[in-house]
Amino acid sequence: MKKIAYFDAGIITPEEILIAADLVPIRLLGNPNIGIDKANEHIPPTHCVWARNILEQAIKGLDSDIKGVIVTHGCDCTNREFDIWLECVDLDFMFFLNAPLKRDKTSLKFFVKDMKELITQLEENFNVSITNEKIIEAIKLMNKIRNLLKEISEYRSKMILKGSEFHHIVKNVQQQDKKEALKMLEDKLEEIKTKTSFTDKNLKKIFLTGSVIDDTEFIKFLESLGYQIVQDDLCIGTRYFWDIVDETEKPIKALAKFHLSKPIYSTKVPSQKRFDFVKDLAEKYNVDGVVNIAQKFCEPILYDHPFMSKKFKELKNPIPYLFIEMEYNRESYKQLATRFEAFAEII
Amino acid sequence: MSKAYVKKSKLLKATLGLKNIMGRHFLAIEQAIRDGTPTAWATSGTPVELLYAMDVQPMLPENSATISAARKYSQKFIELAEDQGFSYDLCSYFKTNIGAVESNVDVTIGGINKPTFMLSSDVICDTHVNWFQVQAERMNVPHFTIDVPHVVSNTNNRQYNYFKKYVAEQVWELLDFIQEITGHEMDMERSKEVAKNSYELSMVWQDIYELRKNIPCPISTKDTFGGLFPLFTMPGLKAPIKLYKRMYREAKARVDAGIGALEQENYRLMFEGIPFWYNLKYFAMLEKYGAIIVYEPYTYAFSKFMNPNVTKDMLLNNPIEAMSELMLSFWYIYDLKTRIQKFKETVEEWKIDGVLLHNNMSCRPNACGLYDLKRRLGDDYDIPCLIIDADMNDPRKLNETQVTNKIESFIEILRERKKK
Ligand code: SF4
Ligand code: SF4
Repeated sequence: MKKIAYFDAGIITPEEILIAADLVPIRLLGNPNIGIDKANEHIPPTHCVWARNILEQAIKGLDSDIKGVIVTHGCDCTNREFDIWLECVDLDFMFFLNAPLKRDKTSLKFFVKDMKELITQLEENFNVSITNEKIIEAIKLMNKIRNLLKEISEYRSKMILKGSEFHHIVKNVQQQDKKEALKMLEDKLEEIKTKTSFTDKNLKKIFLTGSVIDDTEFIKFLESLGYQIVQDDLCIGTRYFWDIVDETEKPIKALAKFHLSKPIYSTKVPSQKRFDFVKDLAEKYNVDGVVNIAQKFCEPILYDHPFMSKKFKELKNPIPYLFIEMEYNRESYKQLATRFEAFAEII
Repeated sequence: MSKAYVKKSKLLKATLGLKNIMGRHFLAIEQAIRDGTPTAWATSGTPVELLYAMDVQPMLPENSATISAARKYSQKFIELAEDQGFSYDLCSYFKTNIGAVESNVDVTIGGINKPTFMLSSDVICDTHVNWFQVQAERMNVPHFTIDVPHVVSNTNNRQYNYFKKYVAEQVWELLDFIQEITGHEMDMERSKEVAKNSYELSMVWQDIYELRKNIPCPISTKDTFGGLFPLFTMPGLKAPIKLYKRMYREAKARVDAGIGALEQENYRLMFEGIPFWYNLKYFAMLEKYGAIIVYEPYTYAFSKFMNPNVTKDMLLNNPIEAMSELMLSFWYIYDLKTRIQKFKETVEEWKIDGVLLHNNMSCRPNACGLYDLKRRLGDDYDIPCLIIDADMNDPRKLNETQVTNKIESFIEILRERKKK
């Protein structure tokens, strides 16, 4: 089966359109086990390491079933890197999706146009017809997946499902055929329902936010220090499934609306909305603290951090907040242990 | 051609007038604040002309940040911002601005008043938006952002057309936003006048650049690095046009007399990126090799009227649409393919021997693509390029010895090439 990959820091790529084109959407994610070598010939070392990691994989060659890449407007890194991809990645189909910065009527109209352009180019390139009916069908499939993920997600706060297990599940969904994903989730839910909660009651409950965190080992590392992630607003997490797409509206507009109303990421404005979402969930899930992780050189998160920090302090009932700048390699996790342990002690 | 070279790289007399022009800009700000006239912070790349057209006094924090650097205050302000949690890796203009506002310093060292509102755009970088978002929140002022889609190397005409429409719609919304906040209405006649002035200012600047094609080059970065500021702080006003015309006349006289800005011009260079404002003297170092920078995309870019689709007529008849289209298409945001092509053409037209590329630690959008640019220019067109790692406002990130060594080796390469 033909696959199409997307490189997207903010998870705003409309997978439904790709599914409707009979392509399997695969989200490109980093691999902390590889060294960066080729990508360093294209991108300076002071630029986001996660994005460089993905370019490295792409230069060396992606899965041969992957027939094209969509890069979605994210941050200054990903935006300008698209042209570099065109220079050095050997793929026939490359599309830059200009996901709008703002969330209003004008942006919505624009986003619809940009999605329609994506459809036109996919149709021309892959010789397919992407009908409204097919998109609606894909929306229904994806909504089922979203609902299941949301339901499964709740077992984290019930202390039945580990944060790392959940992370692994969402990651899989983003990287596999969606019909298979649906089946996997249905089975998983049944399995989880039979489980009882962990015995260790001393786990610190945290809300995890920040840059793309795609290494499940990192979540496991946090767990080894006594944390349980009960909620998040990550792209491999809540932002992927929090809301569902309106099945009654015109499909492309519904998709655009969905993406412009989902939990906001630091690459978009305003930050106040990101804070409000995190705060509301942190309070609802009664977390012990919020952990905000920035990948090294991740500007959107770095700009937001002092604001977030201040806002959590100013709350009537302040929520403990920890900010960490992180390297994208497993060796470096260990060096962060002391800071996480110190945080666990104060919360 | 006469051999009457002047002694050292020499500033145009007209450039001395720059201080007065910029002085007028800051006086106008002071006056506006005193009179209660609305003011706005604007990021570069936004249609500042419209602010003038609506009687809103613009203030350009990037310009103020360069003043802090030139007066050797930027590091202090940057460190202050870092003390407040802003990372070492963030844009140093932003951090300079945070520190300067926090310290409430005078305009002469980069201080800047609280505005009535802020206007940003992601046309050049997302930092602009993040920056104003942070400051709008801290200073409690309204903030409007124009979202400009990225034109990438494979954007087609169909896309370009709806991009234009999207930007124009937002510019119309901006007018409503300004009207709502200030009560000022858009006066189309005034807007045409402002657009006309802006166009003229840019054209004179482009004429000055044309003169730089001459060997020897009549003016150096001593005139252009600072000379660029009226282009982005005062587009639409008459005063800077006169200044630029004086610069042009003087440079033209030099050309006619066969006089160059350098006593002995051996190498003609191009400099991509923002200069090190805290150490402009550093560029004078090139003179000892007889090297002169004859083209800087950065200072040229702000003469924004480069898109042949945007004619003077269009500007006068449809200023909003024209301004919107210009936002999508100026030098500083060219996609990589166009950037490579433009560099190649520029090198030919300005008879450039080598290109210096500033890998600016502060400016990821500008630095992104530099490696490919260097490789393509070298491999495809045999143009020697050198990448220099530094920062425009943070002196801590310039390793002078290292950069000097690199430049010396580069000049050596150019020398060898000349011998052939
Ligand atoms: S991790 Fe941050 S810097 Fe890197 S691509 Fe994502 S948003 Fe951009
Ligand atoms: S230096 Fe670069 S990142 Fe900073 S404001 Fe200017 S364009 Fe943006």
